[in-house]
Amino acid sequence: MTRGVTRRPLIGLVIPAAVAVLFIALPLIGLLAHVDWSNLPSELVSTDVLTALRLSLECSAIAVVIALVIGVPLAYLLARTSLPGRRVFRGLVTLPLVLPPVVGGIALQTAFGTTTPIGTVLHHFGIVLPFSTAGAAIAEAFVGFPFLVITVEAGLRQRDDHLEEVAATLGARPWRRFWQVTMPLAAPSIAAGAALCWARALGEFGATITFAGSFPGTTETLPIAAYSSFEGSGQVGEAITLSLLLLAISILVLVVLRDRWLGALR
Amino acid sequence: MTLQARVQTQLGTLHLNCDVSVDSNVTVAVLGPNGAGKTTLLRVIAGLLPVAEGRVEVDGVVFEDSESGAWLAPEARRVGFVFQDHGLFPHLSVLDNVAFGLRARGMDRKVAATKAHEWLERVDLGRYADSRPSALSGGQSQRAALARVLVTDPQALLLDEPLAAVDASGRLELRRALREHLSTFSGVRLLVTHDPLEAASLADRVIVLEEGHVTQEGPFSEVSARPRSAWIARMAGLNLLRGVVSGEAILLEDGSSLTVATDVAGPALATIQPRAIALYRQAPEGSPRNVVRCTVAGVDPEGDRWRIRLDGPFPLVAEVTPAAAAELRLAEGGEVFAVVKATEIDVYPE
Repeated sequence: MTRGVTRRPLIGLVIPAAVAVLFIALPLIGLLAHVDWSNLPSELVSTDVLTALRLSLECSAIAVVIALVIGVPLAYLLARTSLPGRRVFRGLVTLPLVLPPVVGGIALQTAFGTTTPIGTVLHHFGIVLPFSTAGAAIAEAFVGFPFLVITVEAGLRQRDDHLEEVAATLGARPWRRFWQVTMPLAAPSIAAGAALCWARALGEFGATITFAGSFPGTTETLPIAAYSSFEGSGQVGEAITLSLLLLAISILVLVVLRDRWLGALR
Repeated sequence: MTLQARVQTQLGTLHLNCDVSVDSNVTVAVLGPNGAGKTTLLRVIAGLLPVAEGRVEVDGVVFEDSESGAWLAPEARRVGFVFQDHGLFPHLSVLDNVAFGLRARGMDRKVAATKAHEWLERVDLGRYADSRPSALSGGQSQRAALARVLVTDPQALLLDEPLAAVDASGRLELRRALREHLSTFSGVRLLVTHDPLEAASLADRVIVLEEGHVTQEGPFSEVSARPRSAWIARMAGLNLLRGVVSGEAILLEDGSSLTVATDVAGPALATIQPRAIALYRQAPEGSPRNVVRCTVAGVDPEGDRWRIRLDGPFPLVAEVTPAAAAELRLAEGGEVFAVVKATEIDVYPE
């Protein structure tokens, strides 16, 4: 909505705004400038990269499944019921959004570490979370699932429960209403929330490396592999290839969600 | 089959306190202004809103009884509710919408689809079976909603403002179609509306609900001819006065009195048709008729009859021709004398 008065922008605002655009664009340009395009295809299919990619896809997929199974019910309860302490729960859920991921990793370690009560019980069943692939997935789920909960809750709130009432008067019991009405209507927000959660899980670094370490093939996901090759072995080329891969995935998510997120702002 | 609902409940500022009884095979309209509690009443009957005190019973089945604590969930009440917005599920095809109630009650998918298709044909929507509800016009979506509840063979049919979501141009035709479809359903038929025309054309009997209370009940012609509340009088286009009759006069609440010709005695209501009121610039001399000195509060030109709102000892509305209005030089604030014959005042007991 450009009105006549604001059509001519204030020059004083244009300069910082231009700096902001450059601030985002320059690192990306830098990254692209350092890509060794001729070797890129062979590097992309190198075992190291493929191992990290496969592991990343696995862990982030598990993280999304965990987030869906526990996040959607929570979002539903937060959006549709007058659950006591709802505001506290909502605050708690959003905490991982602002919590430094390293703190999250340490917290997970103190809860599910091998010497903790829960860790001992899990160990009994042969499950060890720290420094395992499952642990990496758990860390990713921890950091990613608030995105899902918040998105799904907002989606459910957009609509009141009128159509559920309609379904009830037509003879549908509560579970039928949930599966046949609530869930299908919330599907777009669930998909968007899952995509955001997945993107966040895919890029997860701090909590994962703290809780699960960086073992190639077990817990060394794409971002961790990028960091190790950049810092440790000095293979900047591989780090850049991995970064490019993550950048491409991010752009893909953005394109898929474009209408939903940018559309809402328009 | 009958529906009986005795309902007492508080919802925000609305205190609903009414006792409604509806026989099957007649269409009953709950008529009242917005916010009178009409929709609330339907929601209570359907089980979407609990009551503080009361009892809802359809054909011997107790839906709810605050005394015994009995309560049936909405899905267990065999009530067909056609919502004001029709409430079609946007993610399902029109056919799946109509089959929804059958499937919810455990009918096999194929059988449900066949029955739903039959009903879609009956309401002339067969070709829209695979469409989404968004492809339907207001009238079509209402018919789909109607088919969706009728296919489940409910004991009672509840319709909330059935024509509100339809644009004015389609209403006449839709009213006819709706009347036809309603007549095929032999259970309890209860609709709510704020539109007297809708009540008059669709219902055999009206229940006037105002501020949560039933103010009048009966056939529409009776209710509109002898209104018992200011709202229904205004809807019927009548002047309504309240007072006490003694002999040849009715003593009104403001202390003034009018000469009437009636056998009624005691507390009474009186109506005057706006066109029965004659207006004069000067008080007619020696007239046996009632003369009321008024000031003009407003002039609403409406075709060949202009409605003149008058302020006097009591408010009145008169109807005159545009020519007469011009001759009388009627303007807001001007003084006129309203003249009514005693025989033009219809008096009936309060």
